[in-house]
Amino acid sequence: MKGKLEPSERERLVEEGKNLKESLVTLEEDLVKLKDELQHVAQSIPNMTHPDVPVGGEDSSAIRQEVGSPREFSFPIKDHLQLGKDLDLIDFDSAAEVSGSKFFYLKNEAVLLEMALLNWTLSQVMKKGYTPLTTPEIVRSSIVEKCGFQPRGDNTQVYSIDGTDQCLIGTAEIPVGGIHMDSILLESALPLKYIAFSHCFRTEAGAAGAATKGLYRVHQFSKAEMFVICQPEDSESFHQELIQIEEDLFTSLGLHFKTLDMATADLGAPAYRKFDIEAWMPGLGRFGEISSASNCTDYQSRRLGIRYRPSEPPQTGPKKGKANLPATKFVHTLNATACAVPRMMVCLLENYQQEDGSVVIPEPLRPFMGGIELIKPKHK
Amino acid sequence: MGLHKLRLAAAVPVTFSSRLFLKPFTNTLTLGLFSRHLQPRNKPLLVRAFSASAAVQDIPATQTSDSSVARPLWKAAIDFKWIRDNKEAVEINIRNRNSNANLEAVLQLYENMVNLQKEVERLREERNNVAKKMKGKLEPSERERLVEEGKNLKESLVTLEEDLVKLKDELQHVAQSIPNMTHPDVPVGGEDSSAIRQEVGSPREFSFPIKDHLQLGKDLDLIDFDSAAEVSGSKFFYLKNEAVLLEMALLNWTLSQVMKKGYTPLTTPEIVRSSIVEKCGFQPRGDNTQVYSIDGTDQCLIGTAEIPVGGIHMDSILLESALPLKYIAFSHCFRTEAGAAGAATKGLYRVHQFSKAEMFVICQPEDSESFHQELIQIEEDLFTSLGLHFKTLDMATADLGAPAYRKFDIEAWMPGLGRFGEISSASNCTDYQSRRLGIRYRPSEPPQTGPKKGKANLPATKFVHTLNATACAVPRMMVCLLENYQQEDGSVVIPEPLRPFMGGIELIKPKLK
Repeated sequence: MKGKLEPSERERLVEEGKNLKESLVTLEEDLVKLKDELQHVAQSIPNMTHPDVPVGGEDSSAIRQEVGSPREFSFPIKDHLQLGKDLDLIDFDSAAEVSGSKFFYLKNEAVLLEMALLNWTLSQVMKKGYTPLTTPEIVRSSIVEKCGFQPRGDNTQVYSIDGTDQCLIGTAEIPVGGIHMDSILLESALPLKYIAFSHCFRTEAGAAGAATKGLYRVHQFSKAEMFVICQPEDSESFHQELIQIEEDLFTSLGLHFKTLDMATADLGAPAYRKFDIEAWMPGLGRFGEISSASNCTDYQSRRLGIRYRPSEPPQTGPKKGKANLPATKFVHTLNATACAVPRMMVCLLENYQQEDGSVVIPEPLRPFMGGIELIKPKHK
Repeated sequence: MGLHKLRLAAAVPVTFSSRLFLKPFTNTLTLGLFSRHLQPRNKPLLVRAFSASAAVQDIPATQTSDSSVARPLWKAAIDFKWIRDNKEAVEINIRNRNSNANLEAVLQLYENMVNLQKEVERLREERNNVAKKMKGKLEPSERERLVEEGKNLKESLVTLEEDLVKLKDELQHVAQSIPNMTHPDVPVGGEDSSAIRQEVGSPREFSFPIKDHLQLGKDLDLIDFDSAAEVSGSKFFYLKNEAVLLEMALLNWTLSQVMKKGYTPLTTPEIVRSSIVEKCGFQPRGDNTQVYSIDGTDQCLIGTAEIPVGGIHMDSILLESALPLKYIAFSHCFRTEAGAAGAATKGLYRVHQFSKAEMFVICQPEDSESFHQELIQIEEDLFTSLGLHFKTLDMATADLGAPAYRKFDIEAWMPGLGRFGEISSASNCTDYQSRRLGIRYRPSEPPQTGPKKGKANLPATKFVHTLNATACAVPRMMVCLLENYQQEDGSVVIPEPLRPFMGGIELIKPKLK
């Protein structure tokens, strides 16, 4: 229409232009809706799975490693709840009045034990080059979703804040994953390795029965979480590094545990592969999960928008323009529990109890507790 | 039957002073403590008339708005008689504290309640008499008359008893805003009237241009506000590297110091029922509330460990021998900081989430003053050990929150911000919280020989006194330490007492890039 035209020709073109414009508007709207719908359905497609992962349900999980053996007791043992009462370490009753069930106060040496566990864990993991971090515990709900969790819905594990789009975190994985969202990192910045402390909040909706007793399943707890951002080709070796760190920590504390390579039905949508560690809890009479290490490959990074730009091969010559930069790629992310305090406390109290009702403190923790070697019954 | 018509005087609508919610910002900054003053609903008080027969009741327009008011979920054990007998002192106190409590309404409601109570009891007695009479042998007409009388009494009683319940609820509602009485030594007036109890140290002289904690936090890769703004919103932050070790060292060291004074360490739930928040004197609902609520529940996030610790012994009777109870409690604290704006909100100075160690004492009334001194001494010793320059203030009446009988605030010098900032607060709440939380104790009996006593001979219970004091509010401490201990080369010296708790680190150095 920019050229010289006959009036009738011009009129025909104007008409055609109008029609095209209207059709475009409609189609563009349809495209947006279609894209949204596609996103919505496609987001539920789980991550691919590592070829070595056993196919099946819980019973199909493979044992990667077993460390130690169940301690033999020459006297009738107590569970951690009883020990907690007798040694004045844990108060569930007051918390039930103040807050509701599955809340608790720690008292006396249990407070020192929590601090020792976190301090010791931090010092051990820092030695492996992990950067310590504390995180917000209130985050926007979109971050929760991008990490692969579900903030809304009937059986959600996530507490929401009234009148806002904010939620409480259930793990530090979420705020740490959010640090680098919508970013392009330099290849030289990778890997990023964090050890993050936070309190974690979980509704535990839908969890019922014996597996909820005492410290085993609570609404609020302290946790140290490892989080790694790396190049895709490195994620498998970092997964091995993370599980090794966990196994070393728990071995140092003298726990009896087994590391499981979780089967496909137990993975959770983000995980390409997941190792869970279950420790022997004699008072409960069974193994209980104390940590979990997941390789999420690019599942979370595609949602959080975390990319990196591979380094350019060395070249001489004039400065390159943007068009010559290597294309960005998505990073891989991994997360692993270094210390979930209540579950650790179940293990330590139940495994280290003595006939006289006292509890021995494992050696590595003693310097972090002012040298205390024993939690003794208190005189009344 | 001679039932009285009871009328309540229509009272002037209660006005709400917004000043109580927003702390004034001057050259000294306040911690932005909760609005502790219960906010009365902004409507006129009732005009009610109680008449003899159930059918006739003057129901003025205001009552209909009142009938939508929910019954209170809990009651404070307020000593109305004492208030009535000391009403001049109570009125002066209300005025000095700039409180909007309506004493006149309370006294009027109380008197009406007492009279209505007497009336109800009188009717009950009459009904009992009628019932007694009906047991004997009666003429049919006499019996019929008594039955009629009994019915009328019953109906009236039902009405009056309902009215009594409503009256008691209303009385609770207005009376709860009456603030605690005030220690005679507390200066009367606003912020400028606060007295200096003590001043320790002096401002450090710097021979080089200094940075504020935000700049130091960036340069030393210790604090990240930018990522947190994306992930969570403003006033959230990540601590990194040595700052994490510093937080842990501060908490560990504080714990070990305070435990030496006989305080029991505690960690607490950070989600509590909203009624507990109210009983401690905070306001979970309302426009400018400092309190985060959880969606779909009656639960809130705590703004201080004072709340869950106060709740441990609620609705209990403690033995005198169990007192005092002294706790040092760790928790994360969450505050909306609604209404806090301006320069007083920069960086770590005002944040939505932080770690805090809080001391809490439950004791006998005669001991609370000396425990207040003990608490403030512990705080002063802690901050002196860390080499801080600070002043302890005896807060003036207008700056006391409703629960505090007396409050000492410590303000430390923050050179990067160029002013003093509050780092701790120690309150003696006497029986304000215990009357709401229902914490009593039974005094020990004097020793006696003889047969075991029955319940009737036990000494009457009394309300305990409660006190709370900040041992360590981590972000404010970090502002102090970073700004005061910075060096010309950009590094920050770690105060000696904290070094053993940080693996011996003496210096936070700039990182090589």
